[in-house]
Amino acid sequence: MPRTWKDNHALFLIVIGLLAWIVPGGGHFALNQRRRAIVILVTVVLTFLVGLYAGSIGVIDPVNAKPWYVAQLMNSPAVFFLGQISASGQFPVFGRAGEIGQIYTSIAGLLNLLCIVNAIYTAHLEGLKGARA
Amino acid sequence: MTALTCTLLASFTTPMRIDTNAASMLWLIPLVVAIAVVYKATKVHQIRARAFAKETALLIGSIMVFVTVAALILYGVAWLVTEQLPAMAGGSAF
Repeated sequence: MPRTWKDNHALFLIVIGLLAWIVPGGGHFALNQRRRAIVILVTVVLTFLVGLYAGSIGVIDPVNAKPWYVAQLMNSPAVFFLGQISASGQFPVFGRAGEIGQIYTSIAGLLNLLCIVNAIYTAHLEGLKGARA
Repeated sequence: MTALTCTLLASFTTPMRIDTNAASMLWLIPLVVAIAVVYKATKVHQIRARAFAKETALLIGSIMVFVTVAALILYGVAWLVTEQLPAMAGGSAF
């Protein structure tokens, strides 16, 4: 039976993945890669906020723009709550600003997905190293 | 709530005014920077300020050059199809 939660490899990877999704860079932070975590956090959050600023909160549209919304959800679970707010349709979104906002927020989500996968892979490698030692 | 906070929150509820001109293409640059920074942050073994900045700048440059070349080629193709081919055929494409 595993002695600590880190000994349970699958659970460890799931926790790292969840941390990386909940807070961008959280997975790397948990793996003691502080600099990497800060760079990821600042870049992903800033890209997401620039998208929201350019296109308004209405660019998160779980009703009419589902594929974009799926990519935006990769930023953090908090996007789900923003989607609930914007689903009322009271926030206007139109034109080039809407397109740019949608692209920025979705790319930020996809970048965070890359970081989630990277954090899980790094955790997996660390787990293998620990098992060999 | 202070006026500054209200203004800040309100700026996230209305879209910016961005024209559909060539200058709006400059919105590409911050996105390319973000992509390059995050990509390099996941790739480098250790993050050291100078080496990281150098590698990121190189990637940003490569992406910008590639995007510019792709845009020029696409512009050329569009120009051929919409301007030159109809003139050769003796009529407008539209």
